[in-house]
Amino acid sequence: MTQFKTKHGYEGLLIVIEGTDGSGKSTQLQLLKKSIQAQSYGVIISEWKTSRLIANVIDDAKERNLLNATTYSLLYAADFADRLENTIIPALKSGFIVLLDRYYYTALARDVVRGQDIEWVKNLYDYAPEPDLVFYLDMPVDVLLKRIIGTTGLNYYESGRDVGFSSDFYKSFEIYQNKCLEQYERMKSEYNFISIDGTKSIDEIHSIMNHEVQKILDSGVLY
Amino acid sequence: MSKLTEQHNYKGTLVCVEGIDGSGKSTQLALLRDWLKSTGHDVIFTEWNSSELISQTTKLAKKKNMLSPRTFSLLHAVDFADRLKQVIDPALKAGFIVLADRYAYTAFARDVARGVDPQWVRNVYNFAIKPDLAIYFDINPQDAMERICSNRAPKFYEAGMDLKLSNDPYESYIIFQSRVINEYQKMVDEFGLVKLDAMDSIHSKQVRIREMLKSVLNNKGVNI
Repeated sequence: MTQFKTKHGYEGLLIVIEGTDGSGKSTQLQLLKKSIQAQSYGVIISEWKTSRLIANVIDDAKERNLLNATTYSLLYAADFADRLENTIIPALKSGFIVLLDRYYYTALARDVVRGQDIEWVKNLYDYAPEPDLVFYLDMPVDVLLKRIIGTTGLNYYESGRDVGFSSDFYKSFEIYQNKCLEQYERMKSEYNFISIDGTKSIDEIHSIMNHEVQKILDSGVLY
Repeated sequence: MSKLTEQHNYKGTLVCVEGIDGSGKSTQLALLRDWLKSTGHDVIFTEWNSSELISQTTKLAKKKNMLSPRTFSLLHAVDFADRLKQVIDPALKAGFIVLADRYAYTAFARDVARGVDPQWVRNVYNFAIKPDLAIYFDINPQDAMERICSNRAPKFYEAGMDLKLSNDPYESYIIFQSRVINEYQKMVDEFGLVKLDAMDSIHSKQVRIREMLKSVLNNKGVNI
């Protein structure tokens, strides 16, 4: 077997699950974490917008509708930088498997839909290490809509109401998520996403992901 | 393509002052503001790290020494973007003279002195509007330190203590601010900053600044 090398040069592994809201990312991350832990590897999960530095500022600013497209991008970039430097990279250096709920692809999709220049957004994240695996949960908008309405309900920014596509919540969500999906679609080949049909059962999706992760683990990269 | 290198088409006029703390830029801007107000011009003033959105967070994070060069840079960019869209841009459209105490050049000087890639930070700020007049107050770090540290030690980030250049805040300040000044000096050519000697008298600097602003305004057809 050929020796696998991590793409970022750190000892650990960086594994990302991407997808729009309601695509089942968190569920899959938890399952993946369990199955990897069961094999005695060190695992941590880090989620989008959870930095100690700035996450609550973003929530507060969103609540008060204080954000424009540029400050929206930059705040998320600051959150990402803080988590990257304080959580993700230290864990990778110590040989952990880092499971990420969203990565900068999320910013690329959302910021571009908000009208930012893609090169400008790419520059914001150009120092971020390349993941070893990126899973993308591909979901049709109508399924997404049902899931979100049935769970958390439609929120202002997730529906892209700030962009002004439509004053109707449902319509706005549909347009916004469709535009996000277009961006993800475009990134699939650019960033080697392993695209998985998100309408498959939880177990089926897990077994696909697990299989890919296992291939890397079996290469002995973490020994 | 950066807006910072293209002349803007707004009715208003954008003036910024740059230089390290203690270079006298705020004094000069205050004098300019009072004069412009007394002559009946519409003036607004905006300063670095003062946006409602983020400035308190940044100040708190600085107090707790929580910032890396990258997050330091990005949080200041958030502040700048917020003020640019909420304050500077509308005021320029309305024909105001906008006086900015520090501008994007501050980020280029400080962040690069912290080891951030120069092109990266320039790209981050590529939405910034090019000022009609950008004045840089040149001072050596010893003189600046004497002015600001007569009754206090240099602050953590001001001294660049996050870079671990020296355990002595005074020594660290000199090393770090020398780097900042070095970046400013490069920008005199790169962005056409007008360099003034910070050690000149308050009066002579103010005379120069008013002359320069008059000529900028006259070119826009504004008589002063």
